[in-house]
Amino acid sequence: MRNRINTLPLGTALGYKERLAILRERKIEDTKDKAGFMSFADGDDYGAVMLPEDFRFESIPTHKNGGYYGYEGFSKNFHKLMAEHPVLIDPCDAFANRWMTCMTWLRQGRGFNPDYSFDHLKPLQALYGIVPGIGADSHFGGDYQIGLELGWGGLLEKLEHFRSQNPGHDDFYEAEILAIQGIQAWMRRTNEITALAIEEEKIPELKENLRQMLACNEHLLFGAPRTLREACQWICWFNMASREYNRDGAGCQLDEVLRPYYERDLERGEMSQDEAKYYIACLLLNDPHYYQLGGLSPDGHDMVSYFSYLCLEAADWLDSSCNITVRVHDKMDMAFLRKSVEYLFKNKNGWPRFSGDRALSEGFMRKGYSAELARQRVAVGCHWMSLPGLEYTLNDCVKVNALKVFRVALDEMMKEGERSTKRLWEIYSGHMKKAVEVTAEGIAFHLKYQVHNQPELLLNLISHGPVEKGLDIVNGGAEMYNMCIDGSGIASTADSFAALEQRIELEGRLSWDEAYEALEANFEGPRNDYIRQMLSASQRYGGGSDSLGDIWGVRISKDFSADVVSMDEAYAPVKFIPGWFSWSNTIALGKMVKATPNGRKDFEPINHGANPHPGFRRDGALTAMSNAICAIQPGYGNTAPIQLELDPGMAQSDEAVQKICDYILTIFDQGATLLNINIINEEQILAANENPDLFPDLVVRVTGFTAYFCLLTPEFRKLVVDRILRAG
Amino acid sequence: MGVVTTIQRFSLSDGPGIRSTVFFKGCNMRCAWCHNPETLLAQSQLHLYPEKCTGCGACLAVCPSGARRAGENGIEQISALCTACGACAAVCFSGALSVSGTEMSVEEILNEVLQDRAYYERSGGGVTISGGEVLAQPEFALELLKALKAEGVSTAIETNFCFPFPLIETLLPHIDLFMIDLKLLDETAHKRWTGLSNRLVLQNIEALDQTGKPFIIRTPLIPGVNDNSAEIARIAEFLSAFKHLEYYEMLNFNPLGASKYKSLGIENPFESARPLGGEALRELSGAAEIHLTKIRLG
Repeated sequence: MRNRINTLPLGTALGYKERLAILRERKIEDTKDKAGFMSFADGDDYGAVMLPEDFRFESIPTHKNGGYYGYEGFSKNFHKLMAEHPVLIDPCDAFANRWMTCMTWLRQGRGFNPDYSFDHLKPLQALYGIVPGIGADSHFGGDYQIGLELGWGGLLEKLEHFRSQNPGHDDFYEAEILAIQGIQAWMRRTNEITALAIEEEKIPELKENLRQMLACNEHLLFGAPRTLREACQWICWFNMASREYNRDGAGCQLDEVLRPYYERDLERGEMSQDEAKYYIACLLLNDPHYYQLGGLSPDGHDMVSYFSYLCLEAADWLDSSCNITVRVHDKMDMAFLRKSVEYLFKNKNGWPRFSGDRALSEGFMRKGYSAELARQRVAVGCHWMSLPGLEYTLNDCVKVNALKVFRVALDEMMKEGERSTKRLWEIYSGHMKKAVEVTAEGIAFHLKYQVHNQPELLLNLISHGPVEKGLDIVNGGAEMYNMCIDGSGIASTADSFAALEQRIELEGRLSWDEAYEALEANFEGPRNDYIRQMLSASQRYGGGSDSLGDIWGVRISKDFSADVVSMDEAYAPVKFIPGWFSWSNTIALGKMVKATPNGRKDFEPINHGANPHPGFRRDGALTAMSNAICAIQPGYGNTAPIQLELDPGMAQSDEAVQKICDYILTIFDQGATLLNINIINEEQILAANENPDLFPDLVVRVTGFTAYFCLLTPEFRKLVVDRILRAG
Repeated sequence: MGVVTTIQRFSLSDGPGIRSTVFFKGCNMRCAWCHNPETLLAQSQLHLYPEKCTGCGACLAVCPSGARRAGENGIEQISALCTACGACAAVCFSGALSVSGTEMSVEEILNEVLQDRAYYERSGGGVTISGGEVLAQPEFALELLKALKAEGVSTAIETNFCFPFPLIETLLPHIDLFMIDLKLLDETAHKRWTGLSNRLVLQNIEALDQTGKPFIIRTPLIPGVNDNSAEIARIAEFLSAFKHLEYYEMLNFNPLGASKYKSLGIENPFESARPLGGEALRELSGAAEIHLTKIRLG
C-alpha cells in the first residue's frame, strides 16, 4: 500500500481534472502491484488495492472444523476484519479508503457448511457439468436509496425497531448490528488517520480537501448523506464494506439515485459542474461497480437527464476501467446514445455497454410481473439485471454446461442402436431436462440452507424485507425469488449438432463411427485431423439464418428455456429464469468436456457467452453474428449478451458514429438484451499479449466486466486475443 | 445467374447507412493497383494458400485435370492444367484452396442480403453492388436491382462508369445512388494505368447529372499515379460543375489486396506501395477544396 500524503511538490496544479489525472496514474501503479496475485487475476478491476504485506487476519472459528458459518460466524469475523482493516487516505481523492481483501478470499478452501450435505446431488451435477451455485453469495442488487435515506445510524435504529417486532429473530438482528458496528469502527479509524493526514499534508488545496473529507465522514458515521459528496462517500462505504464481506459488486441506477443530491447542491449554490464530475469520477475510481444510466422510469418516461450526461463526462475524465451500462429504448434521448458511442471509441476502455429495454422488460413481464417493475430491473451485474432490493436471484452463479450434456448424449447414443441427429436430439433433450431438474434442486437446497452457511449481512440492509421480517434475504427475506439458471456453450453445442447433420446425414462424407472414432482419438492422426477440419468448416452458429448452426442454436435455446421455466411449478413461489452466459468459465467448463464434433479438441474452452466461436463466418459479419444471438435469446428478462470486438478506426466520422448507433438500435429492435464492445486493434493486442507489463493501462471488456489486460492469466489472455484477431 | 465473388454484410464504407455489398466478378478495366484482383476476370479462379496446406492429399483424389499432384516438396499445383472447377476446394477444409467466383441466382443473393433488412431500414442503408464491375453483368445487375427495389431495399452501385450511357439508362430507375470511380482526368494516363480511355466515364458523369440522380465520385489515391495536387485539383475542377454530386471522396491506397495477388499467383505491381500519410492527405484535400466544398477522406 503506497503512501499518498505529501508526495506532490508544492505548486502542483491541483484542479479537479488534474487531481483525477494524478489518481489515474496512481491507479495504474496499484494495478501493477496487483499483477501476479491470483485473487485479482481474470476478474474485474474492482478498484481494490493490495493489502499491506504485514497485514494478517486471524479468523474467529465458530465451528468445530475451525471455520465459521452462519450469522454468528460471519458477523463476528466481519466485525473483526473491519475493526482491524488498514486505512488508505489519498489527499487527491474526494473519498476515503479502498477495499483490499474480502472474506470470500480469506476463507478460501472452506466449502459449504459441512452440517448440511448435498452429496446426493453431486453425481448428476458432475455428469452434466453443472456449476450449481450452492453456497454462492451476493449477485443481486440492493436498493441504495434505503441506505442513503437512513445512513448507518438510521439503519441501526431500523434494526432495533423491527427487532422488537420480531421476537425469536435475535440472531439475525445481532448479526446485522455487529456488521454495521464493524463498518463504523473502520470509519472511526479512518477519521483518526484523516485528521493526522490533515496535519501532515502541506499543499493547501489538498489539506482543505482532507478537511472536507473528515467533516463528511464524521457526519456519515451516523447521519444520512445530505450532499452529493456525502452521498457518493456513503455509497463508497457501502461498496467497500460489501466487497470486504463477499465481493458483492452490484451497483444502481446511478443517475437517478444521485440526481436529487446534485440538484439540491446546485440550488444551494454550493457546487460547480466540475466539482460534481470530480465526485462522480472519484466514486467510479473507488470501485467500477455496475451502474446503469438512462432507461425508462416506472411510468414509461425517458430517465436521461442533464445529470446522466454529467456521469458520462465524469467517466470520461477518469478514463479508466468502468462498468457503466446505457439502457437503450426507442424513446431515449438519441444524443445521449451518440455521446455514449463517442466515449466508447474515444477512450477505448470497453465502456459503456448497452442494454435493450424492450426485450428485457417484455421478457420479465412473461414471468408475470408488471411493466412498471420490469422497467426498474436495471443492469447492475456482469450480464444481469436486478430489481434493486426486491429480489434474490443467484445471477451468474449457476451454469448448465450444454456441451457436457451433448457429449453425455452422444456417448449414450453411440452405445445404443439408432444413430441420427434426430435420436441424438431426443437423448440430449432428455438429459438437459434432468440437468435442469438437478440444478433447480440444488438452488432449492441453497435457498434453504445458505443462511447457515453465509448470510447476506450487507445486502440485507439495503433490501426490502429482510430487516422488516428478521430473515436473511436468501431464506425468506426477499419479496421475490427469480433464480437465474444460465446455459453455457450454446455455440459449441449448436455447431456440434450442425456438423454431424451436415457431414454425415446431408453430405454422406462421414459415417457415425468415423466421426466418433475421431472424437475418441482427440482428432489425433492425419485422417482424424482431416475429419476435424471438415467438421470445423461446417455451417456454423452465426453463419446466417439458413446455417444449420443457427437453426440448431434456436432449437437448443428454446428447449433450454422451456426446461428452466417449467421448474416454477414445482418450487412456487420461487421462479426460474433462463439465460445464456459462461462468464469467465469458458476455460473451466471446457475442461469438463472431451472432444466434440465442432472440431474442438479434448478439454479446450467452450464458446464465450452466447457468441459464436471465432471464425464462424468468412466475412465475420457482425450483423450475421448479432442476428444469431438475437434469435437465441432466452426470452424471460435475463440476458444472452452480444460481445463485439471493433477496430478503433471504425467510428472516425460523425456518420460512422451514427452507423454504430443505428446498429445498436437495430439489435435491440431485434430482441437483443445486452451488448458489450471492445475497441481495440490487432497490433495493440498482439503487442500487449507479448509483453503485458508495457501496457498497464490497457483495459479490455473480458465478458460482462472490464479488466486490465495485464491482470489476466496467459490462458485467459489467449481467449481475448483470439477473439479480437478472428474478428478483425 | 450472375457470378459473384463475395457478399460482405455490415459494410460501413460503401454508401450511406449500414449496407451489404455484393461483389460481381469481371471487370472491363485493368487498374494496375486493383485491390480486388480476384474480381478482374469473369471466370472462376483458384486461390492457393500453401501455408495452410496440411498435406492430407484429399485434393489429389478429386482433381479431374491433374493440376494437383504430389511432388518432392509436398503437393504441387500445375496452373496450366487447372480449370478452377473447384473440386479440390470442395474437399479442402484447411483453407489452403478456395475458389473465387460463384454462380448465384437473384433469389440466393436476396436470401443473404435481406437478413440484414432491419439494419438497412434503421440506418438508411441498403445494398451496394460492387466488383469487379457491376455494369459488366448488366442483365443480371438489372434483375437484382429490380428485385431489391421490389423488396423496398435502397440500392447503390460502385462502378467505373465506362460503358455506353444507354446501357446505364436501363438500370437508372432502379438505382438510388451512384458511386463512381474517377481515377484520373488525364486521358493518356488513364489509358496507361487502367487500359481504357476515360472519355466515356467523363461523358457519362455529365449525362448522369442531367438526369437528377445523386452520385458520389471517388478517387483511389495511388502512390505515383494520381497522388499529386495538380491531378486532384483537375478532377475537383471538373466536378465543380455538377449539381447532383453529393460529395467527392478520396480513398487512401488500400494495400490489403496483396495476399490475394499472391494466392492467385499473379504479379502485384504495387506490392511495395503504402497508404498516404496524414500530411499528403491534407495537401490533396486542400487541392480539392479549391474547387469543391463537400469532400471526404476515406
